[in-house]
Amino acid sequence: MSLRFQRLLDVITRVRGVQGAMLVAGEDGLVVAESLMEGVRGNAVAALAASLTKRFGRAAEAGGLGPVSFLHLQATDGALLVVPAPEGMVLVVVADADVNVGLARLEMRRAVEEVA
Amino acid sequence: MKLTRAVEPWVLEPLERFVLEAGARLTLVMTPSGQVLAQHGFTRAVDVMAAAALGAGIVASTAEIARMMDESTFHALNHQGRRHGIFLGACDTGRGRLLVLVVYAAESSSVGLVQLFFEELAVALAAAAPAPAEQPPVLAADFERDLNESLATLFRP
Amino acid sequence: MSLVNFTTREITCKIVYYGPGRSGKTTNLHYIYGRVPDDRRGRMVSLATHTDRTLFFDFLPLELGTISGFTTRFQLYTVPGQVYYNATRKLVLQGADGVVFVADSQARQLDENIESLQNLQVNLLEQGIDARTIPTVLQYNKQDLPSDLILTPAELDEAINFRSVPSFPAEAVGGTGVFETLRAISERVLRRLSEERES
Repeated sequence: MSLRFQRLLDVITRVRGVQGAMLVAGEDGLVVAESLMEGVRGNAVAALAASLTKRFGRAAEAGGLGPVSFLHLQATDGALLVVPAPEGMVLVVVADADVNVGLARLEMRRAVEEVA
Repeated sequence: MKLTRAVEPWVLEPLERFVLEAGARLTLVMTPSGQVLAQHGFTRAVDVMAAAALGAGIVASTAEIARMMDESTFHALNHQGRRHGIFLGACDTGRGRLLVLVVYAAESSSVGLVQLFFEELAVALAAAAPAPAEQPPVLAADFERDLNESLATLFRP
Repeated sequence: MSLVNFTTREITCKIVYYGPGRSGKTTNLHYIYGRVPDDRRGRMVSLATHTDRTLFFDFLPLELGTISGFTTRFQLYTVPGQVYYNATRKLVLQGADGVVFVADSQARQLDENIESLQNLQVNLLEQGIDARTIPTVLQYNKQDLPSDLILTPAELDEAINFRSVPSFPAEAVGGTGVFETLRAISERVLRRLSEERES
């Protein structure tokens, strides 16, 4: 895996509550780079998260809201966070239910800017 | 409304679920010889025939390449076009090896989604397939008849 | 389309064995493969179904030696015979320099022979190849079967040899007629090539 992607993912996974992070090709839903804990179905999450991001993107477009900047899915046992990344990718984070969303989001956006 | 039809009924439910989840435009479930067991989205028998024959030929060709490289057969192949993609997957069931040809639009699906749900389809087909003992061996003489009968069943009015 | 490399002095031509299902196209190639010495042929590739029917094609590369200072290579292909596989038949026919039509001599297969010939015509037309001028020979296979079941070569010429191309009786399993057919199509293809070069 490319060094710069590895560094990006390392930064994100150090945030407390983050179980794993992936860079996913936005169009294909395929994993480009990943740093996941055991038991996380990376391929499934990647494909579905990329698909959702596309759809939400269209919803935002339809509502004249501009491009998606951040997605947050909150579930009973965890959370899914998505931020657009360069070269058509998306950064997908799987986290505990009580993760500090604001902090995670900050780190995610900073990380993708550095990778650009 | 597009119809999903199956020659062998046990294929229908797994296929319908796959089509829905993966957002596939066209799908064929067939034997490695191109004999179609179920299809979704096609309106003409001639189109199914061509797609099945060509799909089976592609899989046979890549299997040969794999053999030459001393590799076990590939079980998935994806061709990416600008607005559509073609995915070819293989799975093993009690009914024998089956091939699945999927045409999907980049707009409503992705190779990642198709691959994800294909894996589920493979498991479902393996679970639903009849036991091998119940299948009579295919005689060379019946081969062409079987090819054409399946096609006829799929497009019965 | 034949490839002529003036630098390496090599000619490569593509010959397609066409005909209805089970007429003996693959058998022809198997026999040739078995008789040609190792150094004159490559691996034979057969993409077949589990019942040994050609699914996509058989392929056999042959080296025929030097003709007019050019190393001459032939690539032999067969097509699947079943009507069902027409789409793949068209693909295999692409770039053909010559066609061997393997007919099944059985009387009850006459309709199949005619249908396959018509199919050949249509597919060639689609490729922009003139069926009247592409080098073609006919092989009347299975002449070893009981005479009350088959048509004689003369009868077959009458029934299906519309362009009076060379025709050869054959029994492909044992090899009768196989090399005669191959020789004939090679000659016609090479002659056509040299005619084209001169013009």
